[in-house]
Amino acid sequence: MIEIKSLSRGFGHIRAVDKISFAVNTGEIVGFLGPNGAGKTTTMRMMVGFLQPEEGSIELDGKSIFADPISTSARIGYLPEHNPLYPEMSVVEFLAYIAALRKMPKGRYLERLDYVIDNCGLEGVLNQRIGTLSKGYKQRVGLAQAILHDPEVLILDEPTSGLDPNQIMEIRELIRELGQAKTVLLSSHIMQEVQALCDRVIIINKGRIVVDELKENLGAYMGNAQHLVLEVEADQPDLSDWSLLYPDTQLQEQTQHGNVARIKMLIPGENDLRRELSAFVVEKGWQILSIYAEKQSLEEIFHNLTMQEELPDPDMEPQTSPFAEDGIPSPGLESDATEEAK
Amino acid sequence: MNPAITIAKKEYSLAFRSVTTYIIFILFLTATGFYFANTALKVGLAELRGVFGIIHLIFVIYAPAITMSAISKEQASGTFELLSTLPLKLGQIVWGKIMAAVMLLATVLVFTLVYLGLILHFGSGVDLGAIFAGYLGLLLAGAAYISIGVFASSLSTNQVLAFILGLAISAVFYLMQFITAFLPASLAGTLEFISFDYHLQNFLKGVIDTRDLLFFLILIVVFKYLAELKLQSRNMMQER
Repeated sequence: MIEIKSLSRGFGHIRAVDKISFAVNTGEIVGFLGPNGAGKTTTMRMMVGFLQPEEGSIELDGKSIFADPISTSARIGYLPEHNPLYPEMSVVEFLAYIAALRKMPKGRYLERLDYVIDNCGLEGVLNQRIGTLSKGYKQRVGLAQAILHDPEVLILDEPTSGLDPNQIMEIRELIRELGQAKTVLLSSHIMQEVQALCDRVIIINKGRIVVDELKENLGAYMGNAQHLVLEVEADQPDLSDWSLLYPDTQLQEQTQHGNVARIKMLIPGENDLRRELSAFVVEKGWQILSIYAEKQSLEEIFHNLTMQEELPDPDMEPQTSPFAEDGIPSPGLESDATEEAK
Repeated sequence: MNPAITIAKKEYSLAFRSVTTYIIFILFLTATGFYFANTALKVGLAELRGVFGIIHLIFVIYAPAITMSAISKEQASGTFELLSTLPLKLGQIVWGKIMAAVMLLATVLVFTLVYLGLILHFGSGVDLGAIFAGYLGLLLAGAAYISIGVFASSLSTNQVLAFILGLAISAVFYLMQFITAFLPASLAGTLEFISFDYHLQNFLKGVIDTRDLLFFLILIVVFKYLAELKLQSRNMMQER
């Protein structure tokens, strides 16, 4: 188990990471999400001891990682962002070099080498120079390096970035397998990845944790709203009657391809209106092609959460000033002024 | 095996995959060979002092050239991040880089044994002691230049800048022998002590003095330590 407590780190004036605390348990795969510059990489760099935190602690099974950095590094496997490798070395030379630096005994190294060759699919490229490998293979070599010493904790900074869909599937499969016995923290900005792979999701924004929840519980952040998507055979169907019946409905999208119309609407509340909608469509004499409800995706939750954060930002206020400059005081400013006058 | 040696071995063997290494080797041997041909074969001097002097001058450029990428490249490409999460100490990384470059330097010196063979074969009264001491002195001075070069390499992620910095610092130590000539005797006497040439001349004469040995060894350790300090500060205050 790796646990961080009120970890902070700044660069110049920017608070890259601001009092972050969380723990990752053994056998758990945790997705670390956030927009670019949210502080994911900085947090991970501190967790592997590459960056010194300004405050806070990082504990591996209750012991600070800085107490004994050498033994810490034996227990943590790390795949840095952008996957730095030595392009002049061949794959097997590189792995041998890492093993030598980790002082792995020869027998153990050979045993682990077999394991990573099998599991990272490196068989065909062992003697190829890393510089000549495709991005997908490089990523596998990076991952092989991270798991070569069979660490308990794996910290993977964007393990699937830049891979094609097949490669992503393979790497995910490997991570899922590793996650059964290990502690895995992986960062990503691809929501589907986290949805597919992780047990728990931590979303950070501007150096702070916005959400730390089991994947199943993320629903709480969605609100109960759902989308209804309707496809009917009709020419520019008019839904104003429907809006009269259910005034809460928000029409989000309406597209027309030939004589097929596709309509997407947002239904607030928990009501499932599919039955009512199909009855309505039949009554109108349109031909239903499909009708289905869509839950909000993790992507939308992510978008909402990371955008919400920006709303209370004091920087937003000056945006109302153009009104004042035009000589038309904004309602807010006016009330402020009258209050002050009293 | 000590990680420093692992790093040194890797760096040394990778150096021979780079064309640059061979080009530098050839330039080195051409320059020294030309000079040797002039002094030994034309003038007929059965000694290597002149060649050693030239080698010393070449080292001022050669050492920063082979060390400029040592740390700057690791930092620019991000592999330094990989290294710093392995069970290594910063000092071991720096030692590894210095050792690899010293081995490379020793390799190029091995080729100059041809000159020794030639004067032994054709000349007479060769002072082998002085030549042995000369090689030792050159190796030490070279190692000191390398330590300076590795330090310079830790200062910048730009290899060219690292080379220029290394060359500049090395040049101060090399040119001190000429600078002291313009200074008042009292000051010259003190500054002379940091001139590489001043210490190297003793070796070339065949005198191995502890003061000269210590001078170079201390410089090697000091610049190695400075590089380590620089890396430590980068690790703690890195601007990224």
